[in-house]
Amino acid sequence: MSALLALDKVCSFYGPVQVHFDLSLHVNQGEIVCLLGGNASGKSTTMKTILGLMKPRTGSVTFDGKVISGLPTHRIIRAGIGSVPEARRLFGAMTVRENLLMGAFIRDDSAAVRSDLDRVLTLFPRLQERLAQRAGTLSGGEQQMVAMARAMMGRPRLICMDEPTMGLSPRFVDVVLELIATINREGTTIFMVEQNASLALQIAHRGYVLQTGRIALEGAARALAADPRIRDAYLGGEAA
Amino acid sequence: MGTFIDYTVNGLVVGNIYALLAVGLALIFGVANLINFAHGSLYTVGAYIGWVCITQLHTPFWVTVPAVLIGSGGLGVAIERLALRPLHGTSRIAPLLATIGLSLVLDQVVQLVFTPNPRALPSPLPDWRFQVGGGSIGTLDLLILGVGIGSAALLFVFLRFTKLGWAVRATAQDIDAAKQMGVDTDRVNSTVFAIASALGGLSGMMVGMYYNSIDPGMSFDATLKGVVAQIIGGMGNVPGAIAGSLLLGLIESYGIALFGTSYRNLFAFVLLIGILILRPNGLFSAAKETPPEPMTGSFVARGKPIRIPMPGMVGIVAVAALLPLVAGDYVLQTGTNALLYGLLALSLTLVAGTVGMVSLGHAGLLAIGAYASSLLAIELHIPVIAAIGLAGLVTAVLGTALVFPAFRMRGHYVSIATLAIGQIVALVILNWNSLTRGPIGISGIPPLTIAGVPLYDAPQTYWFVLAVVTGLALLQARILSSHLGRTWRALRDDDVAARSHGVDVDRYKALAFAFGGFGAGIGGAVTAHLYSYINHETFNAQISVLALTIAILGGLGNISGALLGSALLVGLPEVFRGLAEYRMLIYGVVLLLLIRVRPQGLLGTV
Ligand SMILES: Nc1ncnc2c1ncn2[C@@H]1O[C@H](COP(=O)(O)OP(=O)(O)OP(=O)(O)O)[C@@H](O)[C@H]1O
Ligand SMILES: [Mg+2]
Repeated sequence: MSALLALDKVCSFYGPVQVHFDLSLHVNQGEIVCLLGGNASGKSTTMKTILGLMKPRTGSVTFDGKVISGLPTHRIIRAGIGSVPEARRLFGAMTVRENLLMGAFIRDDSAAVRSDLDRVLTLFPRLQERLAQRAGTLSGGEQQMVAMARAMMGRPRLICMDEPTMGLSPRFVDVVLELIATINREGTTIFMVEQNASLALQIAHRGYVLQTGRIALEGAARALAADPRIRDAYLGGEAA
Repeated sequence: MGTFIDYTVNGLVVGNIYALLAVGLALIFGVANLINFAHGSLYTVGAYIGWVCITQLHTPFWVTVPAVLIGSGGLGVAIERLALRPLHGTSRIAPLLATIGLSLVLDQVVQLVFTPNPRALPSPLPDWRFQVGGGSIGTLDLLILGVGIGSAALLFVFLRFTKLGWAVRATAQDIDAAKQMGVDTDRVNSTVFAIASALGGLSGMMVGMYYNSIDPGMSFDATLKGVVAQIIGGMGNVPGAIAGSLLLGLIESYGIALFGTSYRNLFAFVLLIGILILRPNGLFSAAKETPPEPMTGSFVARGKPIRIPMPGMVGIVAVAALLPLVAGDYVLQTGTNALLYGLLALSLTLVAGTVGMVSLGHAGLLAIGAYASSLLAIELHIPVIAAIGLAGLVTAVLGTALVFPAFRMRGHYVSIATLAIGQIVALVILNWNSLTRGPIGISGIPPLTIAGVPLYDAPQTYWFVLAVVTGLALLQARILSSHLGRTWRALRDDDVAARSHGVDVDRYKALAFAFGGFGAGIGGAVTAHLYSYINHETFNAQISVLALTIAILGGLGNISGALLGSALLVGLPEVFRGLAEYRMLIYGVVLLLLIRVRPQGLLGTV
């Protein structure tokens, strides 16, 4: 069976500085896969490479059997990938409602968009009463919810999330992770970057550990959570 | 009362014309993060398309307007596609310089095709006037007001209710996030350039009808007014740009009523500086901080400088010094001219390249030096050579004081502020009759004289200027390799970090401007004594742009580069005499090519 998303021997660079060294990983349909790793290990760069915000110098990214590396970002999004960017990146001067509708930018079926809006609002009831509020004035946790709901509005097959729990209070972290699990149960494949390994591995099926641009470990979430190397390095060991 | 109403109508009409310009600048700044210095050129192009349609083709008005919109809009799209899009991902200053280059090219092409002479652009409307409370309002006034309001309404509908309009708004807020929503941001850019340029062209046509006159030189002023209006309303803020334009139009109109026409632009630029200092985000935003501009270091392109070894330098200076033995007067005059521009470029390459404050008003320093030296020599009978030295000091002090308010600004804001300061200098000279003799200018400036002996012949003058330039260049090189030079470069690379390490940033910037002002002031002073006549237009904004082109051609911050650049740009067009007519075109093309092919300049940035 071929994977929904696959990176094959990707090498990416910022100018002369190499970030990824023959990075290969894959995400199967229906999975939650998390990419773990310390600061500056190249996690966000992986996301940018998948989304076409930067191009790998060698290697390729395939989505649903088609090569997407080299395509402009908007074509990749149209191919069925949604994004929850690092630090959320909401349109701060737009209302929550407008942000959610921007998430459906690639769609032309306005009736279905409206019913999807209702659907995500039942999933994120907190946003219901904030619809007319400017997104920039929301709390961090609420903004995270808007970012996730916005990504869902495009009906993607895969959502890439870069540190969805960053900067949230522990209670909100649980809420967000639970929501991710719910979105996944409803049929969307999730590829997420996390520093918070112990929590991420609770909801993920599989995981990869990135170390200075190379995969250091990979495996089922449960096995990784039990791995002493992970435990030392990421589960409360090295401070994030 | 009647005249008050007339001035109000005039202010609103002019405000609407500015609004059509400023709205486009705001849209472009929003999505492309760029001040489009070519915007005024599209306004000129629009005016000339209108002129061709009305006076040559005799088209009806309902054909003329779409022709102007399509012609200038299409040109805007082409500019974005061919000149600006390839610069994505390069240094931040590259697109800004490209638009300056484009404006030089477009303006000169218009001038070559239509001659520099003004043309009448008659309004096709019947000339009815309606009495309103003692004042009056004409059909053309109503048309312009109607077009302004109508365009604003259409723009509102577009941004609010169309998908592409949403994409424009989203891109303006966060281009990467917009891409991740599936927005084709290249298409957004094209759209915005099309709209902005079409409205700009329309504005040009209407202003031509309003004054019944157009000329190729109208573009620069238009860009400036649009930028001022946009800054009053807040950069990138579309409704703010409209409000700012109306305000600017009214202030100018009432100002002219109270003080006279020659003050018109002074209000605009003083207002601009005031807003930049007090409310950098515009009148309608409370935030004191300007939105983050990238570090100046990445604003300017970087590259390894090419070092010319010491014997090579000595050789070059020796060849330059021996030139009068073989060359005729014409070549030497050109050489002197190139050296004087070299002096200006040395000064600019220091503040723009080494310290990272890209000044667009550097000719203002020449003007100060020139007037100071002339007046000292004429009014106070100070010997010329002493007057030149004193003029250098006066320029150092005055120049630094004038630019001081811009020391905390960054990136684009510095360029705009310095541009305005340069204009203010020219306008003060124009209006301070008792000191500067206003528009008449100063004539009978005594020639260069050393120890009582006037330097009348070309070789002597050339040697004198060569000696001054060599001396100042060596001094500048000395300073750059000292602790002071290293501190300057540190400020350029990250002034926030420098500030937080306790460096007194303002003082170091002041030192740079003082040294740069001294050199430029000497340059202006020498020029004045060579020309024997100067006025407020002798040192105009084109010279500022030329100085910047020279500094960039040589490599920002690079001393030998500044001199090489000036030899090439000032010297060569004179040597090939036929080229002199196409001078601005050449500068524009050089600038555009450099940005594409060798953004770090010929000898590299230092
Ligand atoms: N725009 C950029 N230009 C140059 N270098 C960059 C850029 N973005 C990231 N880098 C460098 O690439 C490396 C990987 O960065 P990346 O953002 O992918 O790390 P990360 O794993 O997401 O880190 P974090 O946990 O801090 O978010 C880092 O060394 C970083 O400094
Ligand atoms: Mg990251």
